Amino acid sequence: MNIQAQNRQIAWVVDLNKCIGCQTCSVACKVLWTREDSEKAQWWCSVNTQPGEGTPRGWENMGGGFEEQTHRAKPGEQPTPADFGGGFEFNHEEVFYGGSAGKVHLEPQAPREGRWAMNWDEDQGAGEWPNSYYFYMPRLCNHCSNAPCLRSCPSKAIYKRDDGLVVRDEDACLGARFCMEACPYKKIYFNYDRHVAQHCIGCFPRIEAGVAPACVRQCPGRAVFVGWLDEEQSPVSRLVNEWKVALPLHPEYGTRPNVYYVPPLSPHPLNEDMSVNTEKSRIPPEYLESLFGSEVHGALDFLNAEMAKTREGKTSELMKTLIAYKWQELLGPFAVDPAEIIATG
Amino acid sequence: MKLAKSEQDRETLIDPSSKAWEGTPAQALSLSPVPLEAQPNEYIRASWATRSYGKTGEVSATALADNDRLYVRLQWEDDPAPNEEFPDAAALVLGNGDLGTLGSSEQPLSLWYWAADRDEPLSLTASGPGVFARNGDNGISGAADLSNGRWSVVIAGPLAALAGDQLGVVVWNGSNQERAGLAAVSSWVALEKE
Ligand code: SF4
Ligand code: SF4
Repeated sequence: MNIQAQNRQIAWVVDLNKCIGCQTCSVACKVLWTREDSEKAQWWCSVNTQPGEGTPRGWENMGGGFEEQTHRAKPGEQPTPADFGGGFEFNHEEVFYGGSAGKVHLEPQAPREGRWAMNWDEDQGAGEWPNSYYFYMPRLCNHCSNAPCLRSCPSKAIYKRDDGLVVRDEDACLGARFCMEACPYKKIYFNYDRHVAQHCIGCFPRIEAGVAPACVRQCPGRAVFVGWLDEEQSPVSRLVNEWKVALPLHPEYGTRPNVYYVPPLSPHPLNEDMSVNTEKSRIPPEYLESLFGSEVHGALDFLNAEMAKTREGKTSELMKTLIAYKWQELLGPFAVDPAEIIATG
Repeated sequence: MKLAKSEQDRETLIDPSSKAWEGTPAQALSLSPVPLEAQPNEYIRASWATRSYGKTGEVSATALADNDRLYVRLQWEDDPAPNEEFPDAAALVLGNGDLGTLGSSEQPLSLWYWAADRDEPLSLTASGPGVFARNGDNGISGAADLSNGRWSVVIAGPLAALAGDQLGVVVWNGSNQERAGLAAVSSWVALEKE
């Protein structure tokens, strides 16, 4: 398949209203790319419960990216493997075959104190019953258009491909780890055996063969779209550029990320007398603004209006797109079935 | 610095605590930090603007050669603070050019780079502070010993690679997160062959 890719940009759109937090995307990526022992703590795609401290723990307070006013490089911290919390052993043997059914439960095998297992300790959420709330947010490298990881690397090991993916030449990487500090999304990992940093490669060998990235193709929630940002009639482009309901995460970091999120709608909260407060949403809009910027309010209003339209029996192109009646629509131009690819070399 | 000829075998010469090193006088080299302004990008300059690096002020160096290999033993005080993320490391620099900036794109230098967390030293081309590229395997070897708070590291490679009969030395203090161009470097030292 000939993918025309001259200074174009591949982009992802994740519909947070449809993500069920199943981690299939995380596992699809894991089994494809990070199976080495030395890659145990690496989850290039990870799904966190929001609100929460996320993975790596407290990543939003670790710096990196650019200063909002001056656009100058902002110093950042390098997350530790413990912050990533992705390398735990679980007591599968004991739970499944230990003869102690009902007495022991599955748990990461590490002292609870200071432990931060991905999809475990970070599974937080917020609010008080009956108005508690949470949603899931998958995160992967944003393949930023203004990538601080790339700019911070002294050995120029990181580059942006013609299709917009930000990748690293592992032979050129000497393990200086400035990229890990400079990436404000904290999506770069270090391989201590091979002395190289590693991050999501956007499944470029699949992209080159016309196959969607694993996180997109394997999603049972039909929650993730992929495609060219500039292809006007594509779902990705319409969601981002035309309808403006898909927004970058933390645009204030200044990196121009290319993973976009449809913000989550939520039910109305209950008053103390258990009557419905139709004035408000359970997920505070200020919280969503802290993630997706002030554009989020317009996006939520438009989503609500289009939903109301369909309730009245009218059609909404936006709703049809988000529902994705045909799942191949999520894959954009990368709809080739990987089972049909004959691997060579 | 004297480059003494030795008849010892390779295994003896690569051993930092072997007797082969005893007869030859060591030379004290003073090191200074690679300048912040010379660091290759804004991120590194911004994140190290208020932290000091290049903390290793002095190294003692001894040079030996057999028929075809150069062996240099470097010894310096280890920083007792733990190495949490980055290894202690050292390199010999060969070539002609600006040693203070670890080379430039016009005049790259050769680095024989030893790091405490790697099995084998690397051969690198340095075109500026941290602007390093790996070369293929060109016969660099090394061995190290850390005792009584002092590193003793031998780095060896082909004698033929010695250009201009001069050497430079770089040391990275891993406890201080020194890596890439964040290092302490010597001035060129002339080698006086026996
Ligand atoms: S596979 Fe899809 S639904 Fe499941 S966590 Fe990932 S994005 Fe959400
Ligand atoms: S998300 Fe991080 S690793 Fe990915 S391109 Fe942006 S800065 Fe680089």
